[in-house]
Amino acid sequence: MLAANFDWQFIWDHLPDFWEGLKQTLKVAGIGIAGSLAIGIVLGAARAHRVPVVSWLAATYVEVIRNTPILVQIFFIAGALPHFPGHPIRLEPFTIAWLAVVIWGGAYNTENFRAGFEAVPYRYREAGLALGLGRLGTFFNVTLPIGARIALPSTINTNVSVLKNTSLLTAIGFAELTNTAYSLESESFKATEVYFALGVTYLIVVWTLSLLIRVVERRLALPEAR
Amino acid sequence: MNALGKTRITGLAVEAGHTGAALAEPARATTPVVRVENVRKSFGDNIVLDGIDLTVPAGTALVIIGASGSGKSTLLRCVNLLEPVDGGRIFFEGEEITRKGVKVPAVRQRIGIVFQQFNLFPHLRVLDNLTLAARRVGHVRRREAEERAHELLGRVGLVDKARSYPHQLSGGQQQRVAIARALMMRPHVMLFDEVTSALDPELVGEVLVVMRDLAHEGMTMLVVTHEMQFARDVGDHLIFMDGGKIVEQGKPAEVLDRPQAERTKRFLRRTLQLADSLEELTIDEGGVR
Repeated sequence: MLAANFDWQFIWDHLPDFWEGLKQTLKVAGIGIAGSLAIGIVLGAARAHRVPVVSWLAATYVEVIRNTPILVQIFFIAGALPHFPGHPIRLEPFTIAWLAVVIWGGAYNTENFRAGFEAVPYRYREAGLALGLGRLGTFFNVTLPIGARIALPSTINTNVSVLKNTSLLTAIGFAELTNTAYSLESESFKATEVYFALGVTYLIVVWTLSLLIRVVERRLALPEAR
Repeated sequence: MNALGKTRITGLAVEAGHTGAALAEPARATTPVVRVENVRKSFGDNIVLDGIDLTVPAGTALVIIGASGSGKSTLLRCVNLLEPVDGGRIFFEGEEITRKGVKVPAVRQRIGIVFQQFNLFPHLRVLDNLTLAARRVGHVRRREAEERAHELLGRVGLVDKARSYPHQLSGGQQQRVAIARALMMRPHVMLFDEVTSALDPELVGEVLVVMRDLAHEGMTMLVVTHEMQFARDVGDHLIFMDGGKIVEQGKPAEVLDRPQAERTKRFLRRTLQLADSLEELTIDEGGVR
């Protein structure tokens, strides 16, 4: 139970701070979701159609990302890249932030879309080819619309995780929602109030996103599955 | 002389330059729509097509019969370049389409194919199934494409299903949509790959009627089928395939009524439609006799 001396006023007073942090979180998550979907579609297609070289590179990328903690990936981008021997890469905190979640989500979405494209029965692609759509035309008009719909439910999990994983960016001091709360707590020592408010905020935001995507999913589902 | 020369050039530029003997030949209109020359095809060790030769003149319907595994479907798929041939050549309207560098999508737009499983795009309404290829690669405007689609749906008796999704239609309706979809690209030949085999018996007729009308309108067709009545009534020529070879061919009624080769006789005996009664048939390790 929340203690009787729970300071609601503190939360109320610092809502603007939470809002600032939330804005950063949403910005990074938005770019993260859009970017990881784009990467997922392109590399997923390359994997499913076994495009030489690209498919192999994509497989390596997916394995590296899936088998290392995202926190390590964030530290690598933020810490190791600027000290890259011979060719240091300097990045803005905001760039590091969205890059990290795009790269992470992209790997998972590559797998999601690969599975989706591979699940498209060959006879539909064959029908596209037989109509003279060509390989690229068949991909864009047949494999992509059908495969993406098959992949949609699993991409939802990834997209929600992208949003939640932005909280790990606090480790590099990026002022997103969690980091904002952490700063507030260290100034005020009101841990209960701050982290309660933080949790509730995430709950509302992630829940809203899930509902939103579910609506989109239902609208996009294959007609026979509606 | 001049007029004759002109008709020849529209047919095929390469042969138009020939003199004397070539000009004495019948006019270009007689260039077969499909000509298959010694085509061979294997899947691994399995020889599926073992030197197939055939010619399909414009406006005729060729019916291909044979047991499953005899190579008849593969033959159709080779004509549409869905399967590459291992050897031999295939000509479409005088042009070799099995040579290197041929524009495969362009060839396929001229060769319509209808599959056993319909293969309608499940995410598109009937109307969009029809107009997709015309708009994307035929560069036809949406309005024109939809007008033509409605006209074709009328011909297959499905005008009121334009807004339906494939899964809302019966198998027979789906197959008629598939035929209309193939006709959208104004193909010069239509390939039918066992298009009634996946249908309930009472739905077979509505599809065969559409195909019959198409043949009567002069469409060149290659039809792989088990419907012997259709073969007899609509086919101009019939070939029986077994083991990747053409075993017997001729006028459909002649081959069906008076088969010469032993393998043809056995196949036709096994085909229940031609047996007078089930009582005639016995079964042994080789199947029905």
